[in-house]
Amino acid sequence: MDSLFLPGVARILDVRDETPDTKTFRVVLRDRAAHDGFEFQPGQFVELSVFGCGEAPFCIASSPTRPEYLELTVRRAGQLTDALHRLGAGDEIGLRGPCGNGFDVAAAAGKDLVFVGGGIGLPPLRGLIWNVLDQRERFDRVTVLYGARTPNDLVYKDELKRWAERSDVEVLVTVDRGEPGWDGIVGMVPVLFDRTELHPRTSLAFVCGPPVMITFVIQDLLMRGFADHAIISTLERMMQCGVGKCNHCAIGHRYVCRDGPVFSYSQIKELVE
Amino acid sequence: MTVVDAVLTACPFCPCGCGLYLQCDDGKPSGVAPSRHHPISQSRLCARGWGAHEAPAWGERLTEPLVRRAGGLTPVSWGEALDAAVSGLNDVRATGKAVGVLGSARATNEENYLAARLARGGLGTGDLDSCLRGTYLPLARGISRGSGGRAPQGSLVEIEESEVVILFDGDLARSHPRAAFAVMQAVARGARLVTVSCLRTQLARLAATHVRVAPGGQQEVVAGLIASVVEAVAAESMTERRAPEPAAEMAEDVKEAGRWYAQAERASLLVAPEAAVGNSGEALGFALASLSQAAGHLGRAGSVVLPLPVRWNLRGACEMGVGPDVLPGLRPLDDQAALDRLARAWGRPPASPVGRDAAAMLGAVGGLLVVAEDPPSPLRHERAAREAMSQLDCLVVLDAFMTPTVRAAHVVLPIASHAECEGTCTSADGRVQRVRPCASPPGSARPGWLVLAELSARLDLPSQFGSAGEVLAEICHVIPAYQGLDHRALDHGWGAVVAPKSDARPVESFPQVAGAQRAAGDGSYLLTLDGVFDWGSDPLVALAPTLSRDFVSKRKLFAGGFLEMCSEDAEALGVRPGWPLRVKSRHGEATLPVMVRRELEPGLLLVPFAFREQAEGVLGGDDVVAVQATRPAG
Amino acid sequence: MEPVTAQVLAKDRVGEWIERLMAEAEVIAPVLAHGGDEVFAPIRSPGEVLWEFTNPVHPPKRFLLPQTDPVVAIRRGDNGYELEAIVDERRRVLLNVRSCDVAGLAFLQHVHAADLPDRSYLERAAATTIVCLSCPDPCPLGFCICSGAGPFAREGYDLQLSDIGDLLLAEIGSERGGELLAATDGFFRPATLAEMAQRQQLEEKAKQLLSEQTCHFASAMRRVSTGRVAEDLWRKMSDWCLECGACNFVCPTCFCFSVKDRHNGDGWLRCRTWDSCQYPAFTLEASGHNPREERRDRIKRRFFHKVSAQYYQRDGMVGCVGCGRCVEVCLGTTDMPAVVAAIRKGEWHG
Ligand SMILES: Cc1cc2nc3c(=O)[nH]c(=O)nc-3n(C[C@H](O)[C@H](O)[C@H](O)COP(=O)(O)OP(=O)(O)OC[C@H]3O[C@@H](n4cnc5c(N)ncnc54)[C@H](O)[C@@H]3O)c2cc1C
Ligand code: SF4
Ligand code: SF4
Ligand code: FES
Repeated sequence: MDSLFLPGVARILDVRDETPDTKTFRVVLRDRAAHDGFEFQPGQFVELSVFGCGEAPFCIASSPTRPEYLELTVRRAGQLTDALHRLGAGDEIGLRGPCGNGFDVAAAAGKDLVFVGGGIGLPPLRGLIWNVLDQRERFDRVTVLYGARTPNDLVYKDELKRWAERSDVEVLVTVDRGEPGWDGIVGMVPVLFDRTELHPRTSLAFVCGPPVMITFVIQDLLMRGFADHAIISTLERMMQCGVGKCNHCAIGHRYVCRDGPVFSYSQIKELVE
Repeated sequence: MTVVDAVLTACPFCPCGCGLYLQCDDGKPSGVAPSRHHPISQSRLCARGWGAHEAPAWGERLTEPLVRRAGGLTPVSWGEALDAAVSGLNDVRATGKAVGVLGSARATNEENYLAARLARGGLGTGDLDSCLRGTYLPLARGISRGSGGRAPQGSLVEIEESEVVILFDGDLARSHPRAAFAVMQAVARGARLVTVSCLRTQLARLAATHVRVAPGGQQEVVAGLIASVVEAVAAESMTERRAPEPAAEMAEDVKEAGRWYAQAERASLLVAPEAAVGNSGEALGFALASLSQAAGHLGRAGSVVLPLPVRWNLRGACEMGVGPDVLPGLRPLDDQAALDRLARAWGRPPASPVGRDAAAMLGAVGGLLVVAEDPPSPLRHERAAREAMSQLDCLVVLDAFMTPTVRAAHVVLPIASHAECEGTCTSADGRVQRVRPCASPPGSARPGWLVLAELSARLDLPSQFGSAGEVLAEICHVIPAYQGLDHRALDHGWGAVVAPKSDARPVESFPQVAGAQRAAGDGSYLLTLDGVFDWGSDPLVALAPTLSRDFVSKRKLFAGGFLEMCSEDAEALGVRPGWPLRVKSRHGEATLPVMVRRELEPGLLLVPFAFREQAEGVLGGDDVVAVQATRPAG
Repeated sequence: MEPVTAQVLAKDRVGEWIERLMAEAEVIAPVLAHGGDEVFAPIRSPGEVLWEFTNPVHPPKRFLLPQTDPVVAIRRGDNGYELEAIVDERRRVLLNVRSCDVAGLAFLQHVHAADLPDRSYLERAAATTIVCLSCPDPCPLGFCICSGAGPFAREGYDLQLSDIGDLLLAEIGSERGGELLAATDGFFRPATLAEMAQRQQLEEKAKQLLSEQTCHFASAMRRVSTGRVAEDLWRKMSDWCLECGACNFVCPTCFCFSVKDRHNGDGWLRCRTWDSCQYPAFTLEASGHNPREERRDRIKRRFFHKVSAQYYQRDGMVGCVGCGRCVEVCLGTTDMPAVVAAIRKGEWHG
């Protein structure tokens, strides 16, 4: 029996600026065997340690189909994320996990997939998107809809471009507030629904983003005929342990860190406090 | 037989005086347990009490003496550091500049007493204060004057038995939870609670009557209560004495509250520190004593008249003589008997000039000795105070924790925290209790009393104290109210209650109660500060991971401050939480984001004490100002 | 009912027996601390152990789940960080634990073993022997009978002692309990049928004394589980709570915690530290968003975790052992029996 709280030490390989307050960290576990044994599903998260600062949860933004490294996209939001942003290539952090349930990729086989991301909500979807693209033939249409407050807040700009260039993916990006130099779409994420063809009956929608955005998007999808179970989202709660023991993330008798963070809308409706 | 793996000590946060066990693991405080038989806490503790072990174990601690050299603060031996402190202060005096001493509500009685002794005995200065004294002593003094020295009276526990409780509330549930519980307990047992506050606080929601009051309007309410009491008493006594003129438009709720108060067998007057904001503390205290006197509660067993100090040992600090115009025992500076007593004990006559208070001291003195305080954070003008501190020729700081003041010091003397020191503290209701160590101080840190005694000795003030108990012995010798207390006796019991001996002075006559400044009533608002002190800046909270969370998050999100208003006002002004609002007074203007707070009365804007600097342009040094509030264009 | 196999020990030899225990393990028992406060503490001599006492206000759970509990040591080595799980396998005997606390420890054992097993708790528990002392005179605030936790323990103990005059009768509740008796052979002899009957009588009498049902979990559970408690009732009740968290800290079944790093020499100790769901920041996120912003949301949460059918199904018991400690420590009036009664009646009077 291993300690639930013992992280593995990981080394930062590379840090990429995404936006003024968001960075993507590429990391490997220091112990090669541990790294190779680290199996995860897209949508799962890790408890990341900055030693001396404690731990915080971040979803794995890379895909299991690219096992050489893990990627985490982190927005500066407080003590630990501040400290993390000060680290660079070669520095060491701790990783514990994977935690949580992850997206059920197998169940999505043969379907149309609609990814709806808002702001810093793209990272959990990104792992899933790459996972899907790396086995593209198993799925039908793939659509990526993404929005952020301003062009500056868009993450993974390069990748959005690369996905858009593919003929087998549709990518639409919008910003709430345009800026000089932005010639793309302006408006909240739901405006993108009118610009693409949705097939509610054959689709699964994956929705990640800030709570308000999730609420609006789900309402919209429901109105457009998506079934409750065909809308899949992630929930965020304050977490301390990530392993179902500390009770911080409980909603009713469900635990976002164990039963989630991925929930279908039909499950979300049943969460009561 | 007595066994301990934990040590009974006094809670170090608010002045309610709860007792708790500090547990220690591997040399560090690791937990807290309540005490069932403690006369005040009786198995109960608030969230802060439950976190009393945190700051000493988790916070950044000072572990070795430091002296400022070219490269910054440098570790030195204790001998060097003490010499540097004394020569630094002496050098300042030699240039003709003044030196001052700041005690603290966060320090024990022994530390405060030695600080006062060092100031008046060793340095010969009257520039002696603690930063929060002004929030308590005037009120307490007013009460004492108005009652011929018979009040403050009563204990928190007695409040639970009251039939009527009149609470001048700030937000007791947050600031003094044990006192709030006493009030709650009284209500649960059937007492009528009257809250007087500008906030509909948690306790106000339990009240039989809530008297809305604008900040500064407490005086007027007290006057109304007195009039009602006098009327009720006159009606009852059936004498031909003409009832006094009924106050012109005494509000019905105040009238009724006064009747209840007059008719109760046991009744409590409880005053939160915020109540004095915008009032003269001394006049308010005087009026409160008069109210109690008029209703016959003064000196009556079971009736309580209690002002609450804002932080831990503030009452003790005052009684130890930490103040520019008092001698130990709260004696006036010209009290010859007290001066003689002190001279005999100190082997040197105390300097008795009236000194400057904490705020005035900064900027006026060249040298400063600070005991366990980061003076700018409790002071009203934080930035100016920090600026003044940085200009000092010699700043000597005794503290257990790293604070901004420590960073600015020339000499840093690391002392034991509350979890590691011996001493006593005095609660709001005058119970003197032991503070006991559950661990040794980290590194080479020493008990504060010892460091102060060593400094005193180096200033040629005889200070042969072998223990904190010996300091207490001297305190008991020079302060009549503390006579008879003794370390060993305190150790076996739960502490002892000190009652300042009645002076049997005649009660002075009713003061003229001035009407408070009122809102203009033309759509303008009153703006004031919320609180008179900010727990979030206290190292015992700021360095405690569990306790600091609320403060940290608010500060992170609103680093530039915010102001609070009720939802009706926000709606009327068309602002939502987070939106900016411009407030303009006769002094100036400021634009701050709005937060909605349910408890506020319409017409009132509050800026948290932590963000007082952001509102200073509008307040212009006043406690309360009338402002126009508008949405900034754009 | 199955015949209980039990042994007896002459009271005048108890001290000797405890000394034998002390040679093998740290013995923790209720003792008197300052001013007559009853506390659980490691004993230095058998004479300190209390046999007639009001159950300490601070439960023995802290010896298995300390308020500050180091779980990982973090050091910076020559080749980067070195991490090590901290395991506490110190042998302990918890002596004279009341049946409510035995039930509490069984609950904690269950939640830490369920789903992902928590080694740091389980190792401690595995090294701890629980010796229960049954309650022939139920305590004034307790309502253990309502949650089935007392006054005599039915399970969860290694040994259960009952005071039957000149003798202590010891029931064996586990293999470990049996081994303990075997290891201290020479002190005990098998109980006679008469002695067993005596113990039975004590239990019957104690149950009668408690028979007045004071905390009706079943009806509260129906309402709490289905969200049929009026919001306004939660709001009213929440005005009588001062958010001290004491109800959580002294509760034998509460175990919420946070994880954080504390300086330790050149490195850090990662500690789990007690936390309370009644604290506003318990669910506060970095963004400032707080899903349980209001006090009424938090109080509702506490009682959902304690008495909902959902949790009852998960954990096999209500999250209350009826020890009455929250009644004693509440810095308000919203203790378990008071709130359960309010939920059942649908009204609150403070
Ligand atoms: C399942 C999950 C996945 C997440 N994935 C990402 C991601 O990919 N990228 C990203 O930038 N952010 C992500 N977050 C949010 C991220 O965890 C918080 O921003 C982070 O914890 C803030 O930590 P801090 O120490 O900087 O902030 P502080 O405000 O200083 O927080 C102190 C501590 O509280 C806890 N905490 C505070 N806020 C949260 C929160 N929202 N959720 C969980 N714990 C919290 C953490 O333990 C944190 O260390 C995720 C959250 C969850 C629950
Ligand atoms: S009420 Fe005051 S003295 Fe009592 S535990 Fe809380 S902070 Fe400490
Ligand atoms: S013990 Fe009482 S006052 Fe304290 S958090 Fe619990 S319910 Fe609230
Ligand atoms: S984060 Fe601890 S239970 Fe989910």
